[in-house]
Amino acid sequence: MPFIFRLGTVFLVFFCFGFGVFKMAFGLLGQKIKKIPCVIYIAWFCAASWAQAFLGLLLEDPLEKLFFELIFLTLHAVVLGLLLKKFCHLPFIHTLTAAVLGNFIVYTVYNVVNTTAFAYSPVFDGKYLYVLTTIYIPYLSAPLAAILASYILGKSSFYRYFSHLFVHRSRAALTFIVSFALMCVWTVLDFFYPDSTPDAGYAVFFFSLIVAALFWVQFLAMYVESQDKIKAQEETILQQQAHMELLEELRQEIRAFRHDFTNLFSGLALQAQEGDLAGIQEFMRETSNYFDTKLGNEIQQMDCLKNIRPYALRSLITTKLAATRKKHIQLVLETPCPMNETQMIGTEDLLRALGILLDNAIESSSEKDGVVRVILLQEEKELYLAIANNYDAAPDLSALTRKGYTTKGSGHGAGLSSYRRILSGYHGCVSRTYIKDDMFVQELHIPVV
Amino acid sequence: MIPVYICDDERPVCKSLEQIISRQILILDGDMGPVRAMDDPDKLLELQREDAVPAIYFLDIDFPGKMSGLELARKLRGYDPRGFIVFITAHGDLAFETFRLRLEALDYIVKGDLDSMDARVRDCLESIQERMLSQRPGQSNYCTIKILDTVRYIPLEDILYFEAVGYRHTLRLHLISELLEFNSSLEHFEKELGETFWRCHRGYLVNRAHIRNVRLKEQLVELDNGETCLLSRKAKSAYRNQV
Repeated sequence: MPFIFRLGTVFLVFFCFGFGVFKMAFGLLGQKIKKIPCVIYIAWFCAASWAQAFLGLLLEDPLEKLFFELIFLTLHAVVLGLLLKKFCHLPFIHTLTAAVLGNFIVYTVYNVVNTTAFAYSPVFDGKYLYVLTTIYIPYLSAPLAAILASYILGKSSFYRYFSHLFVHRSRAALTFIVSFALMCVWTVLDFFYPDSTPDAGYAVFFFSLIVAALFWVQFLAMYVESQDKIKAQEETILQQQAHMELLEELRQEIRAFRHDFTNLFSGLALQAQEGDLAGIQEFMRETSNYFDTKLGNEIQQMDCLKNIRPYALRSLITTKLAATRKKHIQLVLETPCPMNETQMIGTEDLLRALGILLDNAIESSSEKDGVVRVILLQEEKELYLAIANNYDAAPDLSALTRKGYTTKGSGHGAGLSSYRRILSGYHGCVSRTYIKDDMFVQELHIPVV
Repeated sequence: MIPVYICDDERPVCKSLEQIISRQILILDGDMGPVRAMDDPDKLLELQREDAVPAIYFLDIDFPGKMSGLELARKLRGYDPRGFIVFITAHGDLAFETFRLRLEALDYIVKGDLDSMDARVRDCLESIQERMLSQRPGQSNYCTIKILDTVRYIPLEDILYFEAVGYRHTLRLHLISELLEFNSSLEHFEKELGETFWRCHRGYLVNRAHIRNVRLKEQLVELDNGETCLLSRKAKSAYRNQV
């Protein structure tokens, strides 16, 4: 066979494989394929595969070869993971796992078809025909399978479940380890059973392995998602209970107030009958602030709560209100005008950021007579948040940016750094930290899109 | 002279407040005046442009059908970022914390009892006078920072250093008693602030006035408050040559 034909075949083989892995990883993430990273990856794949082929010749020891191949496999996955991270804006562990899984699926498909082809292909007279059945068909099957699989995964919106596996760090790590083990299974098997004669049973076994693995991932992800949902619902119920408690308290206070008020009024009526004008004036002066001091605070808080949107944020603040009541910390809420339903920051991130600031403020407010003030002000061009608390010992501003700075002993201090990490994902947010009139203030300006 | 404005849509309140304020200025012998009262916020915005800033503003909390006090104060702040704003309110249930933090409002006065208004006005004017006196000597330069649609003027002597954090063009500005994080670049401030600041590292721009010493061996720049910034090799050799 001419050299050009051989070279072309090798390139086609690399191209098929590279594209297959790339397409599969994109499919797992539920993304539309993009040209630039695709070209970069295939170029890298070709180069790396050549390097691997030549370097592989130098090695003799099978154990060395095993490690060598595993290193290259990992390298491929890491490069693809980095590319995906750059172009899909997803966390690295997420994309890396997708790359690893993609590698495993495509390689398994190829391996199965390849084994079958070798075992069952008739020995043709023409070399070209033989090459077609034993090389072209197995390798072409890789991208085809990838396209088909990502189509099916796209239809069943697999990526949604898949992303649920990466919500928590421990979960993401577990998923990654399992996927990595799957990817390595072929190379390791080759090492232990180098001479196993492939047949149809073998092929079917591994085909079912990959299907089972995919189903396993899908079911696991669905299970995890439903767990998350239940947890979220439980939280909502708790928050609603807190809201109900607040309402109940208000009701009782109104009852008490009504009782007081009728008493006061009967006294006033008596004075009026006697024509005691000075007494009445005295009474009016004393009681003019009565209503405000008794109920003003609660009513103002309810008014402010009504202005908070989206609903999840309102629930968060209500829960914090209830929590501070129990700790006898005075939480003053000011939301003078209704907030926009959607903000530039995603609701989840907004909740997390605000939750961190609130928790910090509540925890570090003064032991005795703690005061926390929360301001949410919607303006035309920005959302202004400020959370202020009093303190026993003034926090050290210069130390505040240090990772893990805390006033609360070990085990704390992660909040502020994750707060910063959340904000760093959004362009245009401004955060300000200062001390004013013996209050420690954290401000956040979020631009309106 | 610091001009004083009163804006309230209730005429009698305007009148009595004008009297109280004029009297208190006389008593204090403050460098304040003339005192002008009006009921139309638009007119106040107009007048503000014609006279000096900073000024003192006594504002009603709401102008029904026109604008809210918050809006008016924001507009006034746009032109006069260092002015003094005092709100006038009918009742005590005002969300004052918002005004205090967002608009750096000074205080609020509850309408009604004349004696207590008098006392409150005196307190306000005294604290304004105190602040003006403490600001006077510096006559310092300011660093302007645009934060969304508001502009902040930060006295240069309050700035310790700028720090670049992360890779998304986030700057952290360390002031003497404040931390400010926003999107901008060190290059921008290096150009704007010139020689008073020293780019001692790719990620740091330090105010020369606040450097306590330069620790060459450890490659650190130590500041007045004990904080340290990194010192790059390039800046180190430049520093050596200068010394």
